Amino acid sequence: MPSSNPLPPKENALFKRILRCYEQKQYKNGLKFAKQILSNPKYTEHGETLAMKGLTLNCLGRKEEAYEYVRRGLRNDLKSHVCWHVYGLLQRSDKKYDEAIKCYRNALKWEKDNIQILRDLSLLQIQMRDLEGYRDTRYQLLMLRPTQRASWIGYAMSFHLLEEYKNALNILETFLEQQKVSNLDYEHSELLLYQNLVIQESGDLKEALRHLEDSQEQIVDKLTLKENLGDLNLKLNRHTKAGEYYEQLVQRNPENTGYYGKLIEARQLTEPKDIVDFYLRYAEKFPRAMPPRRLPLNFATGEQFRSLVDKYMRKALSKGVPPLFVDLRSLYSDRSKTETIEGLLLQYVEALKKIGKYSEGEANNGPKEPASALLWVYYYLAQHYDYLNQTEKAISYIDAAIEHTPTLIELFVTKGRIYKHAGDPQEAYKWLEESQALDTADRYINSKCAKYMLRADYVKEAEDTCGKFTREGVSAMENLNEMQCMWFQTECALAYQRLGKYGDALKKCHEVDRHFSEIIEDQFDFHTYCMRKMTLRSYVGLLRLEDVLRGHPFYFKAAKCAIEVYLHLFDEPLKDESAEQELNTENLAPSELKKLRNKQRKARRKAEQESLQQKEAQVKRDQHHKSRQQGDVEADAPQLDELVPDKLARVRDPLEEAIKFLQPLQTLAKDRMETHLMAFEVYYRKRKVLLMLQSIKRAQQIDPKNPKLHSCLVRFFEHIAEVRSDWEPCIEEVVSRETESYFAGKGAHALNEDFLERNSHSLWAVLEGAKMMYHLDNKCQSRAIELVTSLDNKYQDVNIEICTDVLTSLRNGNFGSCEAQLEEFIKKCNSLFPYTAAFKPPSEQVSPSESNHICQEQDSYNSN
Amino acid sequence: MNIRCAKPEDLMNMQHCNLLCLPENYQMKYYFYHGLSWPQLSYVAEDEKGNIVGYVLAKMEEDHQEDLKHGHITSLAVKRSHRRLGLAQKLMDQASEAMVECFDAKYVSLHVRKSNRAALNLYKNSLRFETVEIEPKYYADGEDAYSMRRDLKEFVKESKSKLEERIEKIEE
Repeated sequence: MPSSNPLPPKENALFKRILRCYEQKQYKNGLKFAKQILSNPKYTEHGETLAMKGLTLNCLGRKEEAYEYVRRGLRNDLKSHVCWHVYGLLQRSDKKYDEAIKCYRNALKWEKDNIQILRDLSLLQIQMRDLEGYRDTRYQLLMLRPTQRASWIGYAMSFHLLEEYKNALNILETFLEQQKVSNLDYEHSELLLYQNLVIQESGDLKEALRHLEDSQEQIVDKLTLKENLGDLNLKLNRHTKAGEYYEQLVQRNPENTGYYGKLIEARQLTEPKDIVDFYLRYAEKFPRAMPPRRLPLNFATGEQFRSLVDKYMRKALSKGVPPLFVDLRSLYSDRSKTETIEGLLLQYVEALKKIGKYSEGEANNGPKEPASALLWVYYYLAQHYDYLNQTEKAISYIDAAIEHTPTLIELFVTKGRIYKHAGDPQEAYKWLEESQALDTADRYINSKCAKYMLRADYVKEAEDTCGKFTREGVSAMENLNEMQCMWFQTECALAYQRLGKYGDALKKCHEVDRHFSEIIEDQFDFHTYCMRKMTLRSYVGLLRLEDVLRGHPFYFKAAKCAIEVYLHLFDEPLKDESAEQELNTENLAPSELKKLRNKQRKARRKAEQESLQQKEAQVKRDQHHKSRQQGDVEADAPQLDELVPDKLARVRDPLEEAIKFLQPLQTLAKDRMETHLMAFEVYYRKRKVLLMLQSIKRAQQIDPKNPKLHSCLVRFFEHIAEVRSDWEPCIEEVVSRETESYFAGKGAHALNEDFLERNSHSLWAVLEGAKMMYHLDNKCQSRAIELVTSLDNKYQDVNIEICTDVLTSLRNGNFGSCEAQLEEFIKKCNSLFPYTAAFKPPSEQVSPSESNHICQEQDSYNSN
Repeated sequence: MNIRCAKPEDLMNMQHCNLLCLPENYQMKYYFYHGLSWPQLSYVAEDEKGNIVGYVLAKMEEDHQEDLKHGHITSLAVKRSHRRLGLAQKLMDQASEAMVECFDAKYVSLHVRKSNRAALNLYKNSLRFETVEIEPKYYADGEDAYSMRRDLKEFVKESKSKLEERIEKIEE
């Protein structure tokens, strides 16, 4: 429908120029033409011109004015599709997709066949996964533009995503019938493979196989072709045929472990002996390939394993292959294999020392092994004993290796790792720093060093270390954030959490969360791009990936940290800032106090400056992004709120914030126990009975024997006993029905006693039981403490991690005040785990202040 | 260690591996761009737990002139903890084969830092790349790059004859 206020020819020409300027990004000129129209007294309130002026302003970063003009324009011309479309584009650029969709719909009311608006609408619909809406819009586009390829593909794909395979396939077929194809046409080949994917997903494997066999000649991607032919034949029990394809695939890429597995399936080999023989034959055919030599070790046993692993290790040790241990590590789940390996290595050490051979019985045959062989054996043994938690032996072997060759970086890394596993992050980081100094040009070592620094809570040092490889002119933190370096940001968050710098920790967690939002945003451009490129299989893969993106372990780790911090901030809100400072300054002399104040002032100024720089960088980055867009209408990305640590830490409702991080985990990480344990902690504090119950039930399904779940149950029981008199009858009914099996008519005390009795062999379980014992009745203090601090033989799981948990609980007041027992416990742990920093007597502990690190003392961690 | 073609869900882990190992980093969108434009060309090496220990991120430089069609290695990395297994070479061979097969590439090109001797050695001696020119100040920090390329016509023939040899062996 034409505008309700049409312009005369001269003005109309000007208006068309505004549109052209907008498309060509000549925003300044666009504004000039708009001014020319609007300065005509008859058209000062011309709706479409005002709207276009607003949209143009938006592209120049003047968002507020933009909204003002666009809205004014729309008010003046509510029946103009242009005004509605423009309002939609504006909202879209602001990522308000739902609003934008409404605007486009309004625009289409007045101009139902406008291709551009329909296209824009379809993009938002697929981005928001409004699949039915997407299908309808794609249908209209197909009707309007039946000659365009993308019209057909888009419509077919909308059915595919809705799992209406028949419709999807009909449309693809009709489209393909019209196509003329030349040989080696990549796009056509991709389309056929996409069609095949849809057939496969429809469940008709026979048809899929037939289709693929018929289209073989036209498919240029032979790898995908053969992988699918092999897979389909295998699924249809056509073993001989499947075997042929996998045979070809192995020849093509003998490093793919999956192909061998499928080949074994196709040949229907099930006996370990046959499988080992199978691999050995292929090891001969492909002498350079790894899998046929490595994989039989998984299946061989006894003497055969011994002889195979012996050969395997000798070859690697002579050649000097550093990853030998990480390569064999998975065999350690089998204890007898571990013992065999250990026996062989100890034999190698003796023989190499005596006669330079791997076995003393081989004195007379063949030449000696290279001198480095002994080094690699030492190196292996150090990792071997480290893996088995035999710290002392591990250290003695790594020291022997370092004495043998003092310049090998890997040795220092391993030494650091041994200390890390033994619970001494300080010492660990020193060795990593050593190795880093030996090769400053290697970023991998640099990254590992930074990681170890963070584990030892040296955030500033870690940033400086990373800074050696980040772009000059920007702070390392900023550059790492820009590059979406999530491992670093998450480790930072965890270090800040340990240091009690909760605001800083939250800032890092939110940065990680924003990366995920950005990556989801990134899809936008690919909706049209992939349709053009015809890479539809990958595109569908992308859509499915984005749907579960926050299921990635990186998100889990950051979200867990954020939730824990928010829970802590709920339990112990930050004190008033000034009061906190007074506390620290009480004992200072006036001159020192002045110095401190100066320092604080400087720090504040520096922080302000940094945040300013960050803002500038953000602007630059946006421009950079924009220049990479391919002619798409994309105005400035909305400025995200700046993340200010102090504000984050003083948020009004920490539990609501925690829930924002929790929700993605509840859908995407629902198979992880920790998700539901955290959910319980949040809802327990919110006193939401049904949600607590939900969390418990979900946790129960994953690991009913988990000790932490027991602690949830006891507290849940206690809670419902307290509040149940106020319930609605329906809640009472649900809760009593659902909890019957958990409580079986017992009280919290009895429940806890039962649990303790059933799990008396596990310190981990007893810790939770004892905590609850004290929680329910603080008169039981001494018995509870006795339970967790007597580390005699009755526990089968005494290790560094659990003892550290006990220590933390004792310190955090989960057992009330218990100084003397705490000290006693530390002594016991120290004799069991002499390397662990947390168990060392205070005199031996390295104080972080010794090496001028700005870092709060351990106590802040203890107050968690 | 397993070597296979990269899937969309690998791209984030490739970025992680890249950030650990190399000074040239890219945002996720750039990885997606590769994965969605030339899904056959990027490969990963993973350990038994599925962690990415090495990858090659590759693309095509499309050219209308047939002879100039060529692939380009955007990024290649193997974690230091997994060196000396020959992973880089195996990754490159798979990517190169796919370039020829799917896109009819005549050669593959790459850039390498002048100071990166280990990489230079790999490309020159193991993979038979040749230096075409030096691009001054190619990298953000001002370092020069060697621009290198490897002919793929040769490669295809070779791998075909190798294949035939293997087939004969197996049939024997």
